[in-house]
Amino acid sequence: MSDNSAYTIVTVPEIAVVDEIKDEIEDVKTFYLSFENKEIEKKFRIRSGQFIMCTIFGAGEFAVSLPPSPENDRFHISVRQVGKVTGALHELKTGDKVGIRGPFGNGFPFEEIKGKNVIYVAGGIGLIPLRSSIMHVLQHRKEFGRIILLYGSRSSKDLMYRYNIDEWLKIDGFETFVTIDREEQGWTGEVGFVHNLIDKAKIPVENTVAFVCGPPVMFNAVIKELLSKGLSEDDIISTLERHMKCGIGKCQHCAIGRTLVCTDGPVYTYRQIKTLGEQI
Amino acid sequence: MFVLQKNQVEKLLLAIKDSYTLYGPMLHEVSGQVLFDEPENVNDLRIDAPISYNPPKNVVFPQFERILSYQYNKNTKEAKIAMDDLLKPKAIVGIRSCDLTGLLAMDRFFMGQEFVDEVYVEHRKKMFIVANTCTSPFEQCFCVCTDSGPSAQEGYDVNLTDIGDSYLFETGSAGGEAMAKKLALPKATAEQEALKKKAVDKSISDFVPMAKENKAWISRVMNRITTGFISNDVWEYIGNQCFECGACSFVCPTCSCFNIEDVNTLDGKTNRLRTWDSCSFEGYTKMAGEHNPRKPVEDRRNKRFFCKLSYSQSKKYLRPGCVGCGRCARVCPGDIGLPNVVTYIRKEISRQV
Amino acid sequence: MSYKTGVCNFCGTGCGNLIKISDGAITGVFPSPGHPVSKGKLCVRGWHIHELLNSEERITNPLIKKDGSPEKASFEEAISLVAGRLSKYSGDEIAFLGSPRSSNEDNYLLAKLARSVFKCNNISLLSDSGHRNSVDVLMEGAGMPAMLGTIDDIRSADFILVVGTDITKQNPIIGSEIHMAARAGATVVTVSSRKTQIANLSTRHIQARPGSKKTILASLARLVIEENLQDLDFIQKHTEGFEGFANTLGALNLDDVPSLTGVGLDELRDVARCLTKSERAMAFFSSGISGLDRDTIGFIFNLFLAAGKIGKEGCGVNPVTGICNIVGSYDMGVSPDLLPGYRKLQESNVKTFNTEWKTELNAKPGKAVHDLFSAKTPKVKALVVVDHDEEIIRNEEKLKDIEFIVYLGSFTNKFAALADVVLPIPSYVESDGTYTNTERRVQFNAKKFEAKFSVMPAWQLYSKIAEKNSVSWPYKSASDIMTEIAKVVPEYSAISYGKLEKEFGVQWPCDASHEKGTPRLDIQSMKRKLKFVKVPAAYEVQGSTAEFPYVLMTGKANYFWHQNNIMKKTNIPKREYNALLLLYPQGFVEICADDAKKIGVRDRWPVNIISGKGSMKVAARISGDVKPGTAYVPYFVQEMITQFLLEHATAAEGGEDSIIPVKIEKV
Repeated sequence: MSDNSAYTIVTVPEIAVVDEIKDEIEDVKTFYLSFENKEIEKKFRIRSGQFIMCTIFGAGEFAVSLPPSPENDRFHISVRQVGKVTGALHELKTGDKVGIRGPFGNGFPFEEIKGKNVIYVAGGIGLIPLRSSIMHVLQHRKEFGRIILLYGSRSSKDLMYRYNIDEWLKIDGFETFVTIDREEQGWTGEVGFVHNLIDKAKIPVENTVAFVCGPPVMFNAVIKELLSKGLSEDDIISTLERHMKCGIGKCQHCAIGRTLVCTDGPVYTYRQIKTLGEQI
Repeated sequence: MFVLQKNQVEKLLLAIKDSYTLYGPMLHEVSGQVLFDEPENVNDLRIDAPISYNPPKNVVFPQFERILSYQYNKNTKEAKIAMDDLLKPKAIVGIRSCDLTGLLAMDRFFMGQEFVDEVYVEHRKKMFIVANTCTSPFEQCFCVCTDSGPSAQEGYDVNLTDIGDSYLFETGSAGGEAMAKKLALPKATAEQEALKKKAVDKSISDFVPMAKENKAWISRVMNRITTGFISNDVWEYIGNQCFECGACSFVCPTCSCFNIEDVNTLDGKTNRLRTWDSCSFEGYTKMAGEHNPRKPVEDRRNKRFFCKLSYSQSKKYLRPGCVGCGRCARVCPGDIGLPNVVTYIRKEISRQV
Repeated sequence: MSYKTGVCNFCGTGCGNLIKISDGAITGVFPSPGHPVSKGKLCVRGWHIHELLNSEERITNPLIKKDGSPEKASFEEAISLVAGRLSKYSGDEIAFLGSPRSSNEDNYLLAKLARSVFKCNNISLLSDSGHRNSVDVLMEGAGMPAMLGTIDDIRSADFILVVGTDITKQNPIIGSEIHMAARAGATVVTVSSRKTQIANLSTRHIQARPGSKKTILASLARLVIEENLQDLDFIQKHTEGFEGFANTLGALNLDDVPSLTGVGLDELRDVARCLTKSERAMAFFSSGISGLDRDTIGFIFNLFLAAGKIGKEGCGVNPVTGICNIVGSYDMGVSPDLLPGYRKLQESNVKTFNTEWKTELNAKPGKAVHDLFSAKTPKVKALVVVDHDEEIIRNEEKLKDIEFIVYLGSFTNKFAALADVVLPIPSYVESDGTYTNTERRVQFNAKKFEAKFSVMPAWQLYSKIAEKNSVSWPYKSASDIMTEIAKVVPEYSAISYGKLEKEFGVQWPCDASHEKGTPRLDIQSMKRKLKFVKVPAAYEVQGSTAEFPYVLMTGKANYFWHQNNIMKKTNIPKREYNALLLLYPQGFVEICADDAKKIGVRDRWPVNIISGKGSMKVAARISGDVKPGTAYVPYFVQEMITQFLLEHATAAEGGEDSIIPVKIEKV
C-alpha cells in the first residue's frame, strides 16, 4: 500500500514544462519535466517503482514508470514510442507543456531491503523502471550489502542510459555487468543473454533481493536461473506494465488476477506474480 | 415510522425538488416500459413503478460524461485545464432495494478504497434517497438470493412500504426525519408498523421457485468461484455463448469499469470523456505495443463473474457484487445472465457430488 | 424524459434504441425494451452508437475545390455549382452512388433527381452485386423481393438453417434470436467453411469445403426428393415448376457429393429429414457485400419450397442485410434498372412515372457504378457519391479521370478529399427519416436535435439542385416525401408518418388489404403461384490443384465492425476492432495447426501466399476455425487491402464461397 500522507494529483492533471529532451536509443527519448506551479513542484515527491499518468494535450493520457531517484535527481520520464499518445509525446519540443497526475502505485521496497545484497537484472528498456531504485540505493550505498547490476540488450545501440552506465562502471563496489546478444565490431564487453551473467557475477543468495525487469522471454529465463541458484520467490521483485486509464484503482483496466496493477502494484514479488494466474 | 398517504406523494416529491435534481422511475411513452431518469415534470415520476429497465447507476455513474476539458495553444504553449462546474445535489426516489444495495456497493468501491474517486463524489454527495419496498417480486428478480431485498436495510433517507391506501414512511437519516416533520406526517401505529413485516414476508413467499432454490446455491457457487474449482469446460460453455456486447456490465448496478478517452472538439478544445466499459471486451486489457494478457472470451467472462460472485471481490463491496436485480438476464443476447451462470455451475457441482 | 425512441442505424437488423439527450447533446443509448425486433437488446455496435453520433469528425461546411485544395463555400455557391456542372453532361456521363445508410426519403429523392432531372439511370449502391441476388431470386420465386419470414417468428421455429453468414457477429440480434430458438429446442444447422460462433452454437455444423455450398444445398434438395419427403400438397396447391427443378437435380450424382463438398451423405440425409419433419423452418443467409451468389440462393429457396416452408407462420427464406437501409434503398429504386417498388425500367412502367413525376424518363437501363468502374476506361465524367466508405477509394486511379465529383456526407471521410464539391448532411439523428430493415419493417426515426452547425437534410439539397435546373418539387418535410412514396410504391401505399410515429414500424407490403403490414409472405392473397426458380444443373466445385494446394477464402465475417470508416469514429468499437489486429498488425491468414506444421511456421510467423496472379506476405494465424487445406483472409481489414486482394477483387467481393487456389510458403 502506498503512503496515504503523500501528495498525489488524483483527477485534474497539473501542468508541467518540457525543459529538455534527450535522445536515448532508437524510438526512446528522455523528457526532463518541471511543474509550472512551483508549489506543486515542492510538494511532488515520488518513490522508486511508482508511475505517473502523463497527458499529451490533444492526444490522450498514458502511464509511465519513473526513472529518477526520489532524492537529488532531475524529474524525468523515458518513453518508447509505441502508440498514438507516445507518438505525440515524441513530437514535442522543449518548452511544450504536458499534464501530470500521480505519483501512483506501491513502489519498490526500500526500508525492507536495507542491509541486504541487491541484484538488478534488466533487459533492454527494462532498465527504465529500475533506474530509480538503482540511483537511490547507490545514494545510500553503505546501507546495503553487495550491489550488482546485470544488464543486457540486443546490441550496443539498444543500451539505455549509456551515460549512466559509463558512470556506474566506474563506481567502486557497484558490480556492473553489461552484455549484448551478438558479437559486434568495437564491442569489448560481454556477449550473450543476460541470464548467462548470473553465473559470471557469482551472485550471492543469502540475504539477497533481486529486481528483474525486461521482455517476457528474458524475464522467464532470468527467473529460472535465479530460482535454480536458490533465491526465494519472495526475494525476486519485478514491476508489471498494464493498460491503465485512471491510475487510482477504479477503471479496472489494469486488473491482473485479483489485483489492480495501479494500486496493488506495479511492484510485485515473483511469488505474487505466479499466483496472479495470467500471462505477465 | 410515519405514514404517508398516497395522495401526498406529489407533495413529498415537490419538497425534495426544492433542493435537489430529482431522478426516479417513469413510464416511457412509446414502449410502456419503466426507465429511471430525470423528469421534466414531477408528475411524470411513478414512484410505485416496477423495477426500471435501465439501472439507476446512471445518476451517479453516467454512461457518457465529460470529466474535464482542456485547451492547449501550440504557439503560446499555454495550457488550461478545467473540471466542470459543481452540480446541484441529486435525489433518487422510488429506488428498489436491489439497486440501493448496488449503489452502496459502488460507494464503497469508489469512495472507500485507497483513493476517493472525485468524479463519483461530485454526483453522489449530499444525495437524498427515497427507497421503495417491493411488495411483490418482478419476473426476473432474485434479490432474496443475494441478501439485497425485497426491502432496503440501509442507505436510505426514507424507505417507503406500500400498505394499501398509504405508505409506511421509515426514516433512515436526519434528513429523512426532517422531511417527515416538514410534511407533518403522523406517526404510524403499532398495527401499521406490523404491516411492513407482513408485506415483506408475502413478497418473499411470492418469488419464483428458481429464485428461491438458487438461494443456497449462490454461496456455494461463490465458494467455487473464489477457490477456482470450476472446470474450464463450464467457462468455455459460457464463453461460447457470449456475444461480447458488454450489455451485462452496462446494466449491472455494481459494474463500474470505465474507459477514458480524450476527444478533440471542433472548436479546438479537448474533452476527457469517461464512459461505461466492460471486461468482456477483447480490447479491454489491450496495451500499446503488442501484448494482450487476457485473450480468450471465456477468460474474460470468468473475470466478470469473479467480480460478481467471489469473496475476494466482496471485500471491496462488503457484500457480493451481484444484487439480484436480474437485468443482465434481460439484455443478454447469449442467454448467459447471472442466474443461468449460477445454474450451469450448480449443475457441475451436482455432477461432481 | 431524456430517452427518445429511435432505430439503430448500423446493420440491417433494425433494432430499437433509446437515445439519451441531455442539454442538446447525446449522452447515452439504451436498448428499447418493447421493440418487436430487438426485444430490449443491442449488440456492441448498437451500445456505442452515441460515441459515433458524438464524433466531432464531421463535415461541417460546404467545400469547393479551388486550385486542388478544398475551400469553405456557402450552400448557395456549392448547390449552384453542382446543379450547373451536372446539367452540362448527358445522362450516360453521370453516375450516382446512393447510400444504403440514407433514409428512404433521401434515397427516393436521389433516384428521382438522377432519373427525372439529369435523365441518368446510372444509379446504384456499391453493394449491388450482393443483395441484388436475393432480390432477383425472391422476386422470381415469390414476387416479394426481401425476407419472406419475420424476425419475431425465429423463437418459435423448430428448424433453422444458417448458410455462410457469421450471423452472431454480422447481425448479432438476429443471431441471438436463433441462439434462443436453439436453447428452446430448435435444430439449428449451419453450413459454413469456417467455424464461426453460430457454428459453435448450432446443433450441427456442416463445415463444407469452400465453394461447395451450392452443391450442399442441391444435395439436400435431391435427398428430400429421393426420400419422397417433399410437401406434395403444398407444392400442388401453391407452386409451379417443381418437375423442372427435380429434373435439374437429376444431373447431380450423389456419390460424388462427399468428395466434392467434404461432407458425408448420411449427415446431409439427416438434415434433409430434419427439415422436412419440422413444423416451422427458416433459412438465413447474408445479403449484401459478401453475400451468397444467385444460384446458391436459388437452391435454398427451392429446397424450402419443396419442403413447404414458405408463407407459413414460423417459416421463410430470409436474406439478412448488413446495412440499415439496403432493403429501403432498393424499395426506392436506387438501382440502374429498377424503378421505385421494384418495377423494371421499361417503357410500360416509365409511362406511369412520367405522369407521377411530370417528366420524361430515359427508359434505357443504366449501369451500376461498380460495373462502370470495372471497365478499363470508365465513360463516366461526373460522379455523385452519398455517405460512403473508403471502399470506393480502391478505384482511386480511375477516379482521377473523372471531371467532376460531388460528395455528400455527415462524417469526414478520405473520399471527400477527392471531391470537387463536398456538401454536409445531418447525421441520422439530426433529421427525420424512415429506414427499412431486413424483414421489410419500415421504421420512423425522428430528428432528435439540431446539428451543431448549419446543415440541411439531403432531400432538401436534392430539391434545391432540381430547382436550379428549373424543376420545382413541393416537399416541405420528409413526411411529404413519404406521402408521395405511398402513391408510387404499391408496397408502401398504406404507410404514412402518422402511422409510423405511433408504432415500432410496419412491414411491407402495407397496403389497402394489409393495413397493419405483412409479417410474412401472404400466400393466401397472392395473385400468382410460388415458382421454383431456375438453377443451373452444374455442380462442379472449384478446388485446389497440385500447384496451388490451398483454397483461400476471403470474407468479412469475424470482426466485420460494419464500415470501418464509421467504426473508427467511435471509441470502444474502434478499440475492439484494433484489438484483433494487435497481434497481427499487418493482417493475417488463418490456417489450421496441421497445415502450419507442414508449412513449417508457428503462430504470427510470416508466410507468402502465392496465387496464379500474384503474392502477398502476411502473418500466419493458427486457428481451429478452418479445416486442413483451407485458408482464410479477412479482406475487410483495411490495413490488409493489398494489391494481391485487388487483383482478386471479384473473388473478394464474391464472399466466403468464391475461392482462390494458392500455395502458402514460409518466408
